[in-house]
Amino acid sequence: MNQRLIIHLDMDCFYAAIEVRDAPELAGKPVAVGGASDRRGVLTTCNYEARKYGVRSAMPTYMALRKCPGLIVLPTRFDVYRAESARIRKIFRRFTDLVEPLSLDEAYLDVSRLTHPGAAIAAEIRGRILEQTGLTASAGIGPNKLVAKIASDWNKPDGQYEVTPQTVAAFLRDLPVRKLWGVGDISAGKLERLGARTCGALQAFSRIELHGIFGKFGLELYDLCRGIDNRPVEPSRPRKSLGTEETFPTNLTSLQECEARLASLHAGLLAELAEKEASREIHKLFVKLKFGDFSRTTVERVGDRPLLEEYRRLLAEGFARREQSIRLLGLGVRFAEEPAAPEQLALALEPSRAGFPGT
Amino acid sequence: MKFSVSKDKLVQGLQTVQNVVSTRTTLPILSNVLLQAGEGEVRLTTTDLDVGVRGAVEAAVERPGATTLPARRFLSIIRELPTAEIQVEVDSKNQASIRSGPSFFKILGLPEEEFPPLPKFEDAKVFTIRQKDLKDGLKKTSYAISTDETRYVLNGILCSFKDNKLTLVATDGRRLALVDIEMEFPRSHEVDIIIPAKAVTEIQRLLTDDGDAKLTVGANQVSFEANNTLLVSKLIEGNYPNYRQVIPNEAKERVTLEREIFLNSVHRVSLLASEKSNSVKLVFSRNNIDIMANTPEVGEAKESLPVQYKGKELSIAFNPEFLMAPLRNLSNDEIFFDLIDEMSPGVLKIQSPFLYVLMPMRIS
Repeated sequence: MNQRLIIHLDMDCFYAAIEVRDAPELAGKPVAVGGASDRRGVLTTCNYEARKYGVRSAMPTYMALRKCPGLIVLPTRFDVYRAESARIRKIFRRFTDLVEPLSLDEAYLDVSRLTHPGAAIAAEIRGRILEQTGLTASAGIGPNKLVAKIASDWNKPDGQYEVTPQTVAAFLRDLPVRKLWGVGDISAGKLERLGARTCGALQAFSRIELHGIFGKFGLELYDLCRGIDNRPVEPSRPRKSLGTEETFPTNLTSLQECEARLASLHAGLLAELAEKEASREIHKLFVKLKFGDFSRTTVERVGDRPLLEEYRRLLAEGFARREQSIRLLGLGVRFAEEPAAPEQLALALEPSRAGFPGT
Repeated sequence: MKFSVSKDKLVQGLQTVQNVVSTRTTLPILSNVLLQAGEGEVRLTTTDLDVGVRGAVEAAVERPGATTLPARRFLSIIRELPTAEIQVEVDSKNQASIRSGPSFFKILGLPEEEFPPLPKFEDAKVFTIRQKDLKDGLKKTSYAISTDETRYVLNGILCSFKDNKLTLVATDGRRLALVDIEMEFPRSHEVDIIIPAKAVTEIQRLLTDDGDAKLTVGANQVSFEANNTLLVSKLIEGNYPNYRQVIPNEAKERVTLEREIFLNSVHRVSLLASEKSNSVKLVFSRNNIDIMANTPEVGEAKESLPVQYKGKELSIAFNPEFLMAPLRNLSNDEIFFDLIDEMSPGVLKIQSPFLYVLMPMRIS
């Protein structure tokens, strides 16, 4: 394979950064986005000011507030995040068609075809993101996805790190094995007992030894700890559904209020359908609702035309399911899959309850 | 190391072991065959770390020694050599010189020490089984092994040694094949093991119709010895599902079929089973089966077979490949097909301890 040039771009605490950008008075304060102060809520993201207090993503909100009583917790605004994400992806696509988004705030770019040095490309992309969105991103540049992804963490936030084919070996020498894919607590523990805490130490093991310890994954580890990864950057696969949604700053309390919002969401859905999936056959329509108490419901119906009055009916049905205010309203379509084929029935095999007698 | 050997015997010996050698291995030593020249023979060993095979060929050994050579390349050269007798000489740098009449080849090998040793067995249980029985049992079951890697316990054959009987079971979750083989062993030898598909294929190649095979079961590996060849394989770890519960207790309807005629009919009709649906429909009526298939916008096929059937009218659909697989691997003329209804498994049986449970297809 020719030498590739892969960039992993990772937005810095994306959702929190958007909130701070949109409310400058929050600058310099600990800010998190997530499930309000509700006991069951968890944080989606928090900014670096909050991290100083030990606050982390996915931490229950009440726990985060205990660590950092001054933490400002804002509700998520996914429509805004999605819009920003779309703007950022547009920037990526100006550099290459080979963009593989991992989530709203992360993507791999294969920029092998560009003639500029990797660091210059990454700096240019990050500069354009900052210029157009006011948000900072970090980048890792490497000969493959594995190395690029690890490198993007190196000078985070608002930084970048390049690992060239010549420096891959040095980069990996002291890298903890835990940073590799597929190495979780169990594998890392096993490796530590074998004296392999770093990739460098792991490199001392032969393929045969690693196969003996981890089976097939051992052979993969042999490559990973040497920074070898041949997986291509793959632009996304066909989607199964397409939808749009809005979280309201204050909950909607009547069906009429919801209906008023439905029309603009519906228009947005039609526009997105026309832009992205104009040729797909629609199988189902759905409306999803998130209530004041964070419970959710989805109402769906078989139909091949995304008509506003159908969505009105679905909304009324969903609204009637709970006597609750509405936090979020979403609507969308599910696409038809291949025509139904006769179904092969399965044997009712259950795992045996009794274990095998020992050999 | 230096020896001369008959070309035909060396070709045969290499063919026995070369299947295990992977072509796309990431570990170069595994592409090689280990040659060990000793008294009157050269031992040949290959492994992919999961399965290893060792055989031997008679040879006039002038200087004992060992090396490893790229297996496929070595075989392709030997096969083409012009004389019946060939000389092989390997120097201390593992360069092999091959001489045959006017031909001279030099190929580069790797040191013997790099070759992973075949595993040792401790506390093993040893069984003796008639080769013919095992070969026949594997043939009748191995086609049903699952290739779905997410169901790894099904990626092999269950060998259950119990009550002086070896039960072989293979299933992919849609059909299940089972054979019982009578054999003798002490109660302390009762054990269940799962032999991976690749080893099963190799074992089948190794077995002949005559004599016994020695089977050794260790903690997580198994070995087979037959016809001067040894095969060692890792076992699949895990519990095989409780297969007994998917075997229907009793059938409502039994139809007796002539295997080859039925197979040929299903095969012909399946030519018009659509790729997408891939099903054939069997309609049972008094002393008759209609076998049917169709592909929308292409056409349809139908064949009627006179059979012995006195049950109620029944229509049931199967994947034709799943229906034909056991028919191809049995040798009996007469088979029995037991059915319950169109949503329950059908069971193929013969006059000996074999059964094949097959789930139908639901046609919407």
